[in-house]
Amino acid sequence: MADRIVVTALGILSALGQGLPDHAQALQNNIHGLDHPQFLKTIHAPEFIMGEVKKSNDELATALHLPVGDNGYTRTTLLALTAMQQLLDQIETSLLQKETFAFINANTVGGMCSVEDMYFDFISEKKEGYFVKYIDTLDCAESTENVVRYFGLKPHVATISTACSSSANALILGARMIKHGLVERAICGGCDAMSRFTVNGFLSLKNVDKFPCKPFDQNRNGLNLGEGAGYLLLEKESDAKARGATILAYFSGYANSNDAYHPTAPSPDGEGAFRTMKQALDAAHLQANEISYINAHGTATANNDAAEGKAIQRLFGNTVPFSSTKPFTGHTLAAAGSIEAVFSILAMQQQIIFPNLNFETQMEELEISPVTCLQTNIPIHHVISNSFGFGGNNVSLIFSKG
Amino acid sequence: MMNPVFILSACAISPQLSFDVDKFLNPIITTDDGKLFAAEPDYRQFINPVAIRRMSRQLKMGIACGMRALQLADVSMPDSIITGTGLGSMTDMEHFLKDMITLEEEALNPTFFIQSTYNSVNGWLALQTKSTGYNQTYVHRGFSIELSLLDAQMFLNETPTSKIALVGSFDELTNDYFVVKSKCDYWKESVPNSLKLLSYNHTDGTIAGEGAAFFALTNKPKPLSCALLGLKLLNLPSSYDFTQEIQEFLSQHGVDLKDIDVAILGKNGDASFEYLYDPVVAAFDVETNVLAFKHLTGEYPTASGFALWIAVQLRHWNQIPEPLILKSGTRPKRNILVINHYILHTASLMLLHQQ
Repeated sequence: MADRIVVTALGILSALGQGLPDHAQALQNNIHGLDHPQFLKTIHAPEFIMGEVKKSNDELATALHLPVGDNGYTRTTLLALTAMQQLLDQIETSLLQKETFAFINANTVGGMCSVEDMYFDFISEKKEGYFVKYIDTLDCAESTENVVRYFGLKPHVATISTACSSSANALILGARMIKHGLVERAICGGCDAMSRFTVNGFLSLKNVDKFPCKPFDQNRNGLNLGEGAGYLLLEKESDAKARGATILAYFSGYANSNDAYHPTAPSPDGEGAFRTMKQALDAAHLQANEISYINAHGTATANNDAAEGKAIQRLFGNTVPFSSTKPFTGHTLAAAGSIEAVFSILAMQQQIIFPNLNFETQMEELEISPVTCLQTNIPIHHVISNSFGFGGNNVSLIFSKG
Repeated sequence: MMNPVFILSACAISPQLSFDVDKFLNPIITTDDGKLFAAEPDYRQFINPVAIRRMSRQLKMGIACGMRALQLADVSMPDSIITGTGLGSMTDMEHFLKDMITLEEEALNPTFFIQSTYNSVNGWLALQTKSTGYNQTYVHRGFSIELSLLDAQMFLNETPTSKIALVGSFDELTNDYFVVKSKCDYWKESVPNSLKLLSYNHTDGTIAGEGAAFFALTNKPKPLSCALLGLKLLNLPSSYDFTQEIQEFLSQHGVDLKDIDVAILGKNGDASFEYLYDPVVAAFDVETNVLAFKHLTGEYPTASGFALWIAVQLRHWNQIPEPLILKSGTRPKRNILVINHYILHTASLMLLHQQ
């Protein structure tokens, strides 16, 4: 049997807090992280709730021993650094010095959170000032490069941007690079800070809920945006065992498939979601009924939940419990895939299924409904986690206990 | 090591006449203002005219270039679509951002937001070709097209059956972007005519450009197809021994610097990067053909896509256009090495073999 890919370290940061214990605590006690944003300076702040990380840029910078103020680090990068620091604290630093490894990051708008406040300075020909040190943050690779520089790493780098499935794709790439022998290990995940650009983008699409989002509910009214970062260390099972590492989970299957239906909307019958989940099951050599829990994409937009719900019903019937954790964190976009990968692992570790908060009314077009209360002492062997993005970019990941 | 992959077709939209032309880079388009904008084709043969009206330049360039690369390879539906872009759609991003600031976050048009998403070209190509296969977008500065090619090589090595990967890159120059990057000293202060860029290498900075390049790749060799043997991505600290890295890369593929028949260099006229290329050029055989191209395209994160397009064209035309030649040689045109350095301290190597 081919060497399996395992997860041996992780870092996570979201509106729920920092690190695995914070997240376990919140998820087990129905404590969501949504509120009116304190740090994002948008006119929509009093009206909309969002999943903002509860730390200012200066607080994040101080914890990272960086100067406060206009230090050239965007919030996107600060979130990435904070989550990466947790991951690196779990491994011997020498591990990343000796062997080839990859750092595969994912991101949707780079340092837009900083750029948007300075853009007219950027483009005014004569203007100079502190903003110049933020100019290279305009692109998506800025957080990747800054993480590498801050920690003094020399990895193979890559940055992926496929909207809401970005970091799920980063995990797939890492596993594939290891399987091809291009690297020994890969740190994979994503980061996104909320920006006015993104908030207004989703608002212009009219799919944002002012109130706590209600995934898979008949009266769902759109998503809540969020921010955060999540990273997972992947390596071969044999390498992990050889160094005595604790195996947190097996990364047993994955699939990336495109809807080829519409630039932003999923195929209404859920064909794309169905195909992606089915391909991931096939890749993991699992039957649908062997999955213990589905961590749904579940954005609470009308389109996504109808398509994903139909696909789940068609593939799994009503036998496999499912929920969306987006009402806890908000939709963290490029970070969502890796954050929810961490939640999938947490579900296995703690033998729990997270509730789909705010669910009240059964969807008319579905016969299935999500888990609404925390379920404990549930043996969980395999979890499938979905991330579906604009451009029809669908990804399903499967994590297994052993 | 992974098996080589084979390039079935190549298509480029660039500042030059590179799209569906009956001559190889002839005549040459030049500029005196330090900005080389792409010569855009008639998009209507490739994109629904109703959709065209709302699309930004980059979206149109990417889709048309990708569709044409598939046509040239006689492929209607690729098994995967993998792209790279350093910048994404600058026009859409700028439009939405400026509107957001000036309209104070009210009454914004979602089209620009949607199209500013980095994988929008990928989504459209999947939609137009009905390709439900693997679909990926890389956004890592000077590594974006290289990561796409690496991914495609992995994808094509993951199956014994015959598969097609559509791989491409696109980057767009805007006047705003030009101003922004001028604050980081990207561009030459005293601008030569673009054709003279490479001899104007005593001053810092380069000229700006843009373009799209797409390739249909397969895992099964076809007669006369150009093989991509391998590629390497290098992060460059200042005192790096670049030539040694290149030699190590080549030796992994059983090739020596002396075996290179054609070298295509990403020289961009910037005095501060000349040191990288000089020792490499000196190490080639005296009869190696040494070419450069950024005086024809300007600098942009995925410029090496154009270099790869040139590599594929060499066989098709069986000649090397004079303006590309830094040093002419007598060697055949079989082993081709692309060496590209991008401003933000990355370099890439691509080794090709013409059968």
